[in-house]
Amino acid sequence: MFIDVLIVGIMVGAIYTLVTIGYSMVYGMLKLMNFAHGDVYIFGTLLCYTLLAQAHVHPLLGILTAALAGGVLASMVEFFAYRRLRAAQHRMISMITALGAAYVIQNASELRWGSQVLPFPSLFPSQIVTVLGYQISVTPIITLDIAVFFIVAFNLFLNHHKMGKAILCVSQDIPTSSLMGIPINRIISMVYFLGGMMGVLGGILYSASYNAISLGMGFRGTIVAFTAAVIGGIGSMSGTLIGGMILGISENIISVYVSSSYRDSIMFLILILILLIKPTGIMGRVEQEKL
Amino acid sequence: MALGIKKGRLLAFAGILVGALALPFAVRDPYVIGIVNFIVTYSILCLGLNLILGYTGLLSLGHAAFYGIGAYTTAILMTRHGFSFVPALILSGVLALFFGFLLGLPTRKVRGDYYCLLTIAFGEIFRLVTQAWIGFTGGAMGIVGIPIPEVLGWKIQTEIDFYFLGLALLGFTYGTLSLLTRSKFGRAFVAIREDELAASVMGINTPMYKILTFSIGSLYAGLAGSYLAVYQTTVTPSNFRLEESCLMIIMVIVGGMGSLAATFLGVTVMAVAIEFFRPLPEYRLLIIGMIMILVLLFRPQGLLGASAFKD
Amino acid sequence: MALLQTDRVWKKFGGVTAVQDIALSIEKGEILGMIGPNGSGKTSFINLLSGIYRPDKGRITFAGEDITELPAHLITRKGIARTFQNLRVFPNISVLDNLLIGRHCRVNTSLANIYLNPFLSRKREREAEERVVELLDWVHLGDRKKELAKNLPYGEQRLLEICRALASEPLLLLLDEPCAGMNPVEMDTLAAFLRNLRERGTTLFIIEHNMRFIMSIAERIVVLDAGAKFREGTPGQIQKDKEVQRIYLGEEEET
Repeated sequence: MFIDVLIVGIMVGAIYTLVTIGYSMVYGMLKLMNFAHGDVYIFGTLLCYTLLAQAHVHPLLGILTAALAGGVLASMVEFFAYRRLRAAQHRMISMITALGAAYVIQNASELRWGSQVLPFPSLFPSQIVTVLGYQISVTPIITLDIAVFFIVAFNLFLNHHKMGKAILCVSQDIPTSSLMGIPINRIISMVYFLGGMMGVLGGILYSASYNAISLGMGFRGTIVAFTAAVIGGIGSMSGTLIGGMILGISENIISVYVSSSYRDSIMFLILILILLIKPTGIMGRVEQEKL
Repeated sequence: MALGIKKGRLLAFAGILVGALALPFAVRDPYVIGIVNFIVTYSILCLGLNLILGYTGLLSLGHAAFYGIGAYTTAILMTRHGFSFVPALILSGVLALFFGFLLGLPTRKVRGDYYCLLTIAFGEIFRLVTQAWIGFTGGAMGIVGIPIPEVLGWKIQTEIDFYFLGLALLGFTYGTLSLLTRSKFGRAFVAIREDELAASVMGINTPMYKILTFSIGSLYAGLAGSYLAVYQTTVTPSNFRLEESCLMIIMVIVGGMGSLAATFLGVTVMAVAIEFFRPLPEYRLLIIGMIMILVLLFRPQGLLGASAFKD
Repeated sequence: MALLQTDRVWKKFGGVTAVQDIALSIEKGEILGMIGPNGSGKTSFINLLSGIYRPDKGRITFAGEDITELPAHLITRKGIARTFQNLRVFPNISVLDNLLIGRHCRVNTSLANIYLNPFLSRKREREAEERVVELLDWVHLGDRKKELAKNLPYGEQRLLEICRALASEPLLLLLDEPCAGMNPVEMDTLAAFLRNLRERGTTLFIIEHNMRFIMSIAERIVVLDAGAKFREGTPGQIQKDKEVQRIYLGEEEET
């Protein structure tokens, strides 16, 4: 049923938005492509799997713990691997370091959980309602709502909470923010922490919907993040939302109606197309180099 | 980079050449020769990558795809169309050059960071296509049964045979790249890396040079791929993943970006490190990752300090 | 005879008009100066001349040829070279290599030459090196040719940048604030050097903030304000012009 596909597509889009937020904020602020992003939040999701499926911890506690762990891991990566290189003259250095960090985390995750697909438990019982004669599954709608809730909450935080506003300042101009007394290092740690947390939440919602979690989703997650960020345009929440939605919906539609084995290739093709046509994305501003 | 072959240099060169030719007679253990062949293969790859990354400053994370294009070209031509090795080798290089040219075209429009994403996407699409297009590439199983290569009647079968073939390819690679980098072309590449805008104002056609560096750098990867195909007698997509590209990048950095000679050192060091950790295959990525992080944190200019990343 | 002529060129960036309707000619063999307050469009104008920006409207003619649509590297080949306001020598490369890069468009070695005719290539390299060392010797930097550019003192780096521009044997040299950061002694040396250059046939176009320098060296001066040509005249005339003083100081003209 097309309406189901559409709803699931929107749900995936919202989840993609959640996981892209962290990546996009870091890139917008520091121009660093955090290649470790996906692997970090999948680590958190895997942890959640262990807590829920094996330790039988209460879902809310498990999710919260996993999200916090993901956030902490993200800030730790920043602290140990990226911080010293922030002033490096070649941004390439940080990018390669990020790749290195991704490999380390990937390998660590593999040592603990192996590389096979694990059965992530559903969070909500499966329910079907009948609306206007159509049978619609309710679970994706609930998942979608939760994802949207987090997105909206985060947006409110950015715009109205003191720390959120500080983050926005630092995103725009680090030297000036520093002169205004904003503690840059702390804000950057917070950005990584929140981004990691959001990523884990997104990962959990995704894995719960598809009842699957595996190591390979880490790399894929990073690709999703930067594809969505490129499509939507770096540096704006609306861009991230648009990018996530476009990616999620198109991927789902193509995967259902065309072929699911080429799903990843499609994502890369979309990425290539956008990079060739408008690399700054839909909402992005074209930056003029100051000469 | 002005030309001038000093006597000392010539002697050192002769010494190395003699040493290289004598190596397999001094070291008879095929296991060690195997490692040397690994070093030779990756040296060819990394010399080409050094041109792109080290000299011109373009971060390409898709270099393994050209390695793969070369390998699959040779594999397909030799197993299905009865090509002999040398024509297959040449065509592998040409095809890799062609795709390198294609990948170089967007450098005009797509800025630095985004370009890096493009190279990743290219590499990934290559991997995905080789996995999915079973009819053409054999899918995940790849192509097997690549025949023994023959060059002018000389059958290349043992590790030592492959060593000499590899050495010949390496010599070709180093020789041609050396001439290139010591010329105005080499200077132009470096100028683009240092300050692209200033370079264009110096009269350097920067878009063209970026395409050129990609084409040429990829050519050598294609040759290395061809060598791999006959050496392994099989090619599978797993040889050409993003990890391989990252490994090549780290080899170039460890040796020293922008110095051809330093590439050998970088490749050797990493090859030895990998061999050292071979008994722990489940830690492979972790080790590569840690090396990447540590090198960049503490010694980004490479072991010899010969690189663009000074201070 | 006008070596370079701009015919009503415009350049806008989004909502900002950087260069407004400028018609200017630079005569062969002259030293033309350009002054104006910060943000008046001088660097944008030089970027237009050197091909870094393409004008939105208008034409630029050089030695009788329309160069409006040409990219930067071809404009250099035609004979226009420049320096940058914020000093853009290649820092991690030797002095000699900096100049050799500057000479790039005059070294006629093709890719084929390098491989098929290495002796010819070597000959051309040697020739290029000789020409470039001549330049270095002229400014007394010859013995420093192997040093990395970033290790030179600031004034010498500026000199290096000018030499690098000269390495392509330009007909017209564009200088963007060549005196920035120089002490008076260095400035005098530079002025003498530039006059010498002009004697040898190079036409000069100089943007400068330092009034003493520009008034002493330029034969004609153009004043820019808010992207438009405000005044043109001899140094004497410009110095006495109250309007020019006003745009610099932002004071109301006394009635």
